Amino acid sequence: MSGRTLSDKVIDAHTVDEHDTNLFRRVTVDAVLGHDATTALLIDDFERRGVSIWDRSRVLLANDHFSPPATAERADISNRFLAFAREQDIPNLMLDRGICHQLLVEHRLCQAGGLIVGADSHTVMAGGIGACATGMGATDILFTLATGTTWLRRPETIAVRLHGELPAQSAGRDVVLALLAVLGESGAQYRSLEFHDESTTRLGQDDRFAIANMAVEIGAKFGVFVPDEVTEDYYLQRDGEFLGTPVRPDADAVYERVIDLDLSGLDARVAKPWSPANVVPLRELEPVRITSAFLGSCASGRLSDIAAVAEELADRKVHPEVRFVVIPASVAVFQQALRAGYVETLTEAGAIVNHSSCGACGGIDKGVLGAQDVCVSSSNRNFRGRMGHWQSRTYLASPRTVARAAIRGVLAPDLYGTREDS
Amino acid sequence: MNPISGRVWLFGDDLNTDVIHPPAFYSLDPDKVRRGLFHGYDPELQPNLEPGDVVVAGRNFGCGSSRETSIRALKLNHIGAVIAVDFARIFFRNATNNGLPCLTFDDPADLERLTTGQRVSVDPDRARLRTGDGTTIALTPPGEFVRQIWAAGGLLELLPKS
Ligand code: SF4
Repeated sequence: MSGRTLSDKVIDAHTVDEHDTNLFRRVTVDAVLGHDATTALLIDDFERRGVSIWDRSRVLLANDHFSPPATAERADISNRFLAFAREQDIPNLMLDRGICHQLLVEHRLCQAGGLIVGADSHTVMAGGIGACATGMGATDILFTLATGTTWLRRPETIAVRLHGELPAQSAGRDVVLALLAVLGESGAQYRSLEFHDESTTRLGQDDRFAIANMAVEIGAKFGVFVPDEVTEDYYLQRDGEFLGTPVRPDADAVYERVIDLDLSGLDARVAKPWSPANVVPLRELEPVRITSAFLGSCASGRLSDIAAVAEELADRKVHPEVRFVVIPASVAVFQQALRAGYVETLTEAGAIVNHSSCGACGGIDKGVLGAQDVCVSSSNRNFRGRMGHWQSRTYLASPRTVARAAIRGVLAPDLYGTREDS
Repeated sequence: MNPISGRVWLFGDDLNTDVIHPPAFYSLDPDKVRRGLFHGYDPELQPNLEPGDVVVAGRNFGCGSSRETSIRALKLNHIGAVIAVDFARIFFRNATNNGLPCLTFDDPADLERLTTGQRVSVDPDRARLRTGDGTTIALTPPGEFVRQIWAAGGLLELLPKS
């Protein structure tokens, strides 16, 4: 038998039965994730069909899109969602605690080697700590809530081997944007992206989450890091012990493709409107005057992202024509940032720190863009109209690049110095 | 599944769910969801849709969000089918689960033969599309599993009856 990839092994370990056609399998899942905006869409069907949840302890629900709600309509949707979660007596209902994907990786339900489904496309992010996690729609999630299973096709795997030494000023965001430039918006469609961190400096855990999160922007079903000592450290810190079964690929695993990405010299990358794959090196960009800067979303807004921004903003000021909104990914991250003094640095510099939630990322909440706005954002999608008005424009970049642009008021090619002096 | 007939609405590659259905129209109110379809892309499009119309697109249709409001909006406007070069996986699952047929071209080059406004009929089970002038375009037959969901009337009909 030929060698198996990480996702092959995880799927095999969860297979209940193999459908004889189309390679569909019924698999069990270890956890189900849902948030207010998507879970609200399944409640009617759930009640009409008299469904009961297969295992409440494996469900994590979070209100993050409307937290707290900005309009009466959203308040009603939020209330509906919360009433549902309470009626179902979901033990892991996280009320106003942050973005569901961050809450999942902060929770023991998320383990290496686990198979997780969530009613949101960025569920892939849990791959940052070795779980095979994938997003689905409300109907699929309802099916899983009822049965504890779902249908999957075994994906082909693309291995991404990261080598070299990532420059100190670059981040996971620059790495995944560089990968998007190679693969495009559908380059990993239906595939599992399996990341092997062989870099000399090792990517930090927050950078891995940023990369796994945006695997879905490349179309991937899973974006999973092969567990190593960075992963183990994370679990030890979180749980005090390593509870999962760290699944690793066989040495002779069969890959559809292997991509070698040298991180040495990888400098800042930017995705121009209106595609996360419309990537150029920052140094080649025409200068763009910005009105808005955003650090947040499940793609970033973690402690090291906020630390990088605080480092940039220390003793400086946000440009007077720029509104800089910062949203920590979870309340736990917010509290860490408070303790570290970052929040004070950011607010001194003129940034706004909002409650841990999705915010303007999906065009929903405080900080949405108007027609004239040009935003530089550390979120994951710059689709047209996503963050607000159809005419608004969003550039995606790393947290550090967002901060530097916010100070300058311009997303400029020389934010990291000219090529000669960098 | 019954054959569908209507007019073609042609789109390009990588049409994401925020363009299919802008976040501002996210709601539990069916009328609001219905009105949001393609609203940013062309506000005149949705009012001109007729039941049975067919969305035709290039690569990676439906990439982006998992919100099923995009599927609801297509269904509430009685879009009969979506034909594309290929689909983003979450969109494909969502549509299939809700009985909206998504089919791909057997030969992607056939996309060039279709234009907005053209009358077509689509037979999902036989995986083919016919244009008004009698041309037949082959689509890739859906697998057994997809047919099973279509035949049941959606994924939830496959839930074990309690
Ligand atoms: S932060 Fe943005 S991408 Fe993440 S779950 Fe919320 S809306 Fe979606």
